Amino acid sequence: MTGTPSPATAAPESGGRPTGAVRWTVLWAVTAAVVILPFFRGLDSYNYVLQLATVIFMWIAMTSSWNILGGYAGYISLGHNVFYGAGGYFSGMLLLEFGWSPFATALLSGLVAMGLGVVAGLITYRTRGPSFIISTIALLLVVTLLMDNWSYLGGSNGLSLPLVPLDVTWIKVPFYYAMLAVAAGAVILGYRVAHSKFGLALRAIAADEVKAEVSGINTRRYKLMAFALSAFFPGVAGALWGYSIAYLRPIIFLIIAVAARMVLMAIVGGRGTVAGPVIGAVLIVAIDETALTTFGGSELNLVITGALMVLMLLFFPGGIVGTLRNKKWLPSWLDWD
Amino acid sequence: MHYVQVLILGVLLGGVYALMASGLTLLFGVMRVVNLSHAAFVVLAAFFSYYLFQGWGVDPLLSMLAALPLFFLLGVALYRLLFPRIEGSPKFPEMTVLLTFGLAFILEGLMSYFFTGIFRTVNTSYAREAIVLGRLFIPTGQFYALLASALLLIGLWLFLKFTRLGYGVRATMQNRDAAQIVGVDVRRVSTIAFGIGMAVAGAAGALVSFIFPFFPSRHWQWIAILLSLIVLGGLGSLKGAIIGAVGLAVISSFVSDTIGPVWAPITFFGVLFIVLLIRPHGLFGKKVRI
Repeated sequence: MTGTPSPATAAPESGGRPTGAVRWTVLWAVTAAVVILPFFRGLDSYNYVLQLATVIFMWIAMTSSWNILGGYAGYISLGHNVFYGAGGYFSGMLLLEFGWSPFATALLSGLVAMGLGVVAGLITYRTRGPSFIISTIALLLVVTLLMDNWSYLGGSNGLSLPLVPLDVTWIKVPFYYAMLAVAAGAVILGYRVAHSKFGLALRAIAADEVKAEVSGINTRRYKLMAFALSAFFPGVAGALWGYSIAYLRPIIFLIIAVAARMVLMAIVGGRGTVAGPVIGAVLIVAIDETALTTFGGSELNLVITGALMVLMLLFFPGGIVGTLRNKKWLPSWLDWD
Repeated sequence: MHYVQVLILGVLLGGVYALMASGLTLLFGVMRVVNLSHAAFVVLAAFFSYYLFQGWGVDPLLSMLAALPLFFLLGVALYRLLFPRIEGSPKFPEMTVLLTFGLAFILEGLMSYFFTGIFRTVNTSYAREAIVLGRLFIPTGQFYALLASALLLIGLWLFLKFTRLGYGVRATMQNRDAAQIVGVDVRRVSTIAFGIGMAVAGAAGALVSFIFPFFPSRHWQWIAILLSLIVLGGLGSLKGAIIGAVGLAVISSFVSDTIGPVWAPITFFGVLFIVLLIRPHGLFGKKVRI
């Protein structure tokens, strides 16, 4: 192999640039399309399209964040919507009490969610595997119980928020861009984590925590950091979402189906990949919308959620991205790792 | 006297929780499976008993006897269908949690679709009666449920202690690899343990049907309580599950009496968090790496 490089070994190198170029072209094209979409005001059912896109952005943000803990670090949280709810209620209460717009306080809500993430991490970090999952469910139920009975926050009936002071034809636009920014932030954070020493440490923890610890990784600190980071964007997303529906209620933010949705999207797209949560979010929201318009009932939505989760785990445990990558079918523009 | 009454109610509640939790902890002990759909099967069995009662007036205690073999078979079928595929996975315990999480949603969705989400309960004659002992009273329905739970748990214990298969189950719980080496058919033991776990869930469902109001999404609350119990007792320890169940049910019954019934579930979760902080492997659990 010391002679002139054969064409076969040279090919990947020369092929590297074009595929990178394709990836960036596709990414820029999608970004541009998403950014200019709200300018097409003549669109059929304009507000519906914007709303749907906002929902997709929200789920991209939530699932990408969940993925930091559940995908890279391998700590599956089934109570992650606690942070989503915390964000919604925190910004909502600031709006009600002081009149501060959630657009201004959303990042603050993210920080509050992060703080809660550290607390949750401190309670649960001594457990791993199934015990950890159990403790996250318990966390969710404790918070639900508190919110259901905390009369200052409206209890189980919830609180109404004032609407955004905007004309109805414009009302979706600020949420659209804000949620787009949140989704972009979460995906970029996911990318940065995946490509950092921190991400490497998280993956080491996922693979074998004891060995990771022995090789000098401060697993406790990294796990707490992962928990805190993965709580931030759900908090921000919750703040914006609460304002956009102008209603805070435990049953909207804190039912376990919300957490299940994050898990499902990550599993469908591919846990522990950057592109997985994005693909999962787009697909699952699309399936949800179709199911809602064809069957109507939300009961069957639960069946679809569960069935998809079971089928993916049994047949494609790596999710779409993981499975395609294993088979070397993953198009380069979907490979963000 | 009042506190004795609260204590009695707590113990009655604990009996049924113990039965529900025993199946869950057995499954974990034998297979390292945390079955998040356990309580959904309890609710399914409650519906089974409800419709038998509505349609033919069958007493839930009889439905319980019918549910045992039916849910055993259901468990064996489910095990065969789901688990062989992921058995070799390095992340088996986590995979099972996610898999049964999905299963719980399927069941909840199907039950909500076919049976609707309204509150139900089986109104047997004894569900509304009470045995009066001086100034104390014992709700008859709950008393029967406790008796039935105790009988089933004793049966389970006898099976584990004195039958050949029971030896196999206990050996697998202690050390799966070693059990395999001494000739235990671990896969058969796992299948049967899954069946038994499910049969116990079925029986518990029939009992639950006349002592608690139930509806499809109720199972999340129950599974969280059951998981708290078995984490407290030590995952995989039957004795721990029973002591945890009765102990916590008594505490929650006092909380419900002094602070208010809505806060009773906090007892379970609060204790769970304390246990996780100071003794993550539970009261009777082995310190195993999972």
